[in-house]
Amino acid sequence: MRALKDVKAAKAPTRRAFSERMKEYGSIDKDFVVFEADIGYSTYSYLFGEAHPERYFNMGIAEGNMVSAAAGMAAEGRKVVASSYGVFLTMRALESVRTYVCYPNLNVKFLSSHGGFTPAIDGVTHQATEDIANMTTLPNMKVICPADTISSRKLFDVAIETTGPVFIRLMRDPYFDLYEDKDSFHLGGSAVVREGKDITIVAYGDIVFEAVEAAAMLEKDGISAEVIDMYSIKPFDRKGLLGSIEQTGALLVVENHQKRNGLGYELSNFCIKHKPIPFDNLGLDDTFAESGDYFKLLEKYGLSKIHIAKAARQIVEKKG
Amino acid sequence: MTRVDTAKTIKERAACLDKIAREVRERIINMIYRAGSGHPGGALSAADIATALYFDILNIDPKNPRWPDRDRFILSKGHACPVLYACLAMRGYFASKHLDTLRKFESILQGHPIHKTPGVDMTTGSLGHGLSIGLGMALDGRLRKKDYYVYVLLGDGEINEGLVWEAAMACSKFHLDTLIAIIDKNRLQMDGACEDVMPTGDIASKFRAFGWEAFNMDGHNMEDILLTVEKAYKVKGRPVAIVADTVKGRGVSYMENRFEWHGKCPDRDQYKCALKEIREAEQ
Repeated sequence: MRALKDVKAAKAPTRRAFSERMKEYGSIDKDFVVFEADIGYSTYSYLFGEAHPERYFNMGIAEGNMVSAAAGMAAEGRKVVASSYGVFLTMRALESVRTYVCYPNLNVKFLSSHGGFTPAIDGVTHQATEDIANMTTLPNMKVICPADTISSRKLFDVAIETTGPVFIRLMRDPYFDLYEDKDSFHLGGSAVVREGKDITIVAYGDIVFEAVEAAAMLEKDGISAEVIDMYSIKPFDRKGLLGSIEQTGALLVVENHQKRNGLGYELSNFCIKHKPIPFDNLGLDDTFAESGDYFKLLEKYGLSKIHIAKAARQIVEKKG
Repeated sequence: MTRVDTAKTIKERAACLDKIAREVRERIINMIYRAGSGHPGGALSAADIATALYFDILNIDPKNPRWPDRDRFILSKGHACPVLYACLAMRGYFASKHLDTLRKFESILQGHPIHKTPGVDMTTGSLGHGLSIGLGMALDGRLRKKDYYVYVLLGDGEINEGLVWEAAMACSKFHLDTLIAIIDKNRLQMDGACEDVMPTGDIASKFRAFGWEAFNMDGHNMEDILLTVEKAYKVKGRPVAIVADTVKGRGVSYMENRFEWHGKCPDRDQYKCALKEIREAEQ
């Protein structure tokens, strides 16, 4: 557990940290290749390209071709990263991802930047707010979302060591560093970033920080909230979650994603089967977002710390 | 059945291949009839090209399906898979008894090709992806400094898909002279004539405009197929597209040039008639 005062402003966004580690890995595994779709300076995959130009393939603005070509190369036994924005990877290239990567269970890892509405000012065309739904639905696909730069680097290694396709949701802007170099991460794992006993708040990516701040607000109201960074979305940490909600007896899931078919739906399903408790989830409520300041969007679409704290109080009240 | 003796003259090779192609056609009809469904039209139009590839052109080893130095073959028009399965069984990748299980529960021969079937280099079936997959495989070969070729067989209807042209641009960008795309131009697609559904125009010119070398050939003339592929080997620095003029349903008179036979199974009388025609063509 780390106190909020210990959280430090990150020097880089998760997309950059992930790509920096990818570049380093390129020197370790000489068969490893990266495919990019003309946004290498935004995903930071160019760092790999500069270090290993012979293994960096820029396929232009053609995500479907990029992913099917990546599949062709992975079918030859290589580990491949295909890099783009989430909104394009998970929709424009969805059939390539499903039929040519997931079905043959190939080693293609998706560097998916600009997750949720973190590209806030760009507007809806560039916001990936259905990516988790699309990717978690695919058989063989694993889905992870690091919240800070330290977990980004470590989860790159996790993705590479995992057999088959892995989707990694990354964010546009730098937030904070929650973790330390000694912390470890694994597929199907989660991290308790704040301990509490009255309610469990689950979040991933950028929303972890809002959840941590909401927990601090709740503390003033005498509510002790536990915050879990569910960095491994599929598979998620069933044991960790169950342990937490058995103790707190209440669950709130918050995500920068559509409410429908996101992690909230998944965990509500889990609770119904294994531990029926007061529950709510926050996310985009069957709506698109819009252009604008990221924090204003959080406010308007119900994902800010104030909304999280309010929802948490209501759930705790239901416990009676 | 082994590869045709490539030391023979081209006429002798062509004669051997014609004979094999008749057996391939017979197996296609048998397979689809027993499955009760499938795509005879496009399998028969591609039968001579696939036979030439599997029994002469491809450098492959059926005893070692994943041999790293082998030539790759991607059946981008995956619905024509009975032709692929017939060739693979005849080359000994798996026992011929499996052909009777096409499209059936738990068969190794799925309705469209999958990566797990011995001899199948990659899953295909949803149209338009094969050239992209071939692109990835050809880039892999270059990185590994291997000299294998990647052959991709596409349909002329299939090139309606925009993805084909994304891949065409990229193959040209990377100067992939180890990639040969063959377009089975049988002029028909599922809903009718390509000319009516979505006119493709001069396919060879389109590939040339994308930076490819392109040739035309008669997709039912073994000598022409062998010579055109020989010609493709001489092209350096860019990929080659071969536009093969073919007849949909070739070898079965009532299926020829009829789009209705794109994805239809013959009834008992039609089945007998088809086999008779294919066998009689032998005399």
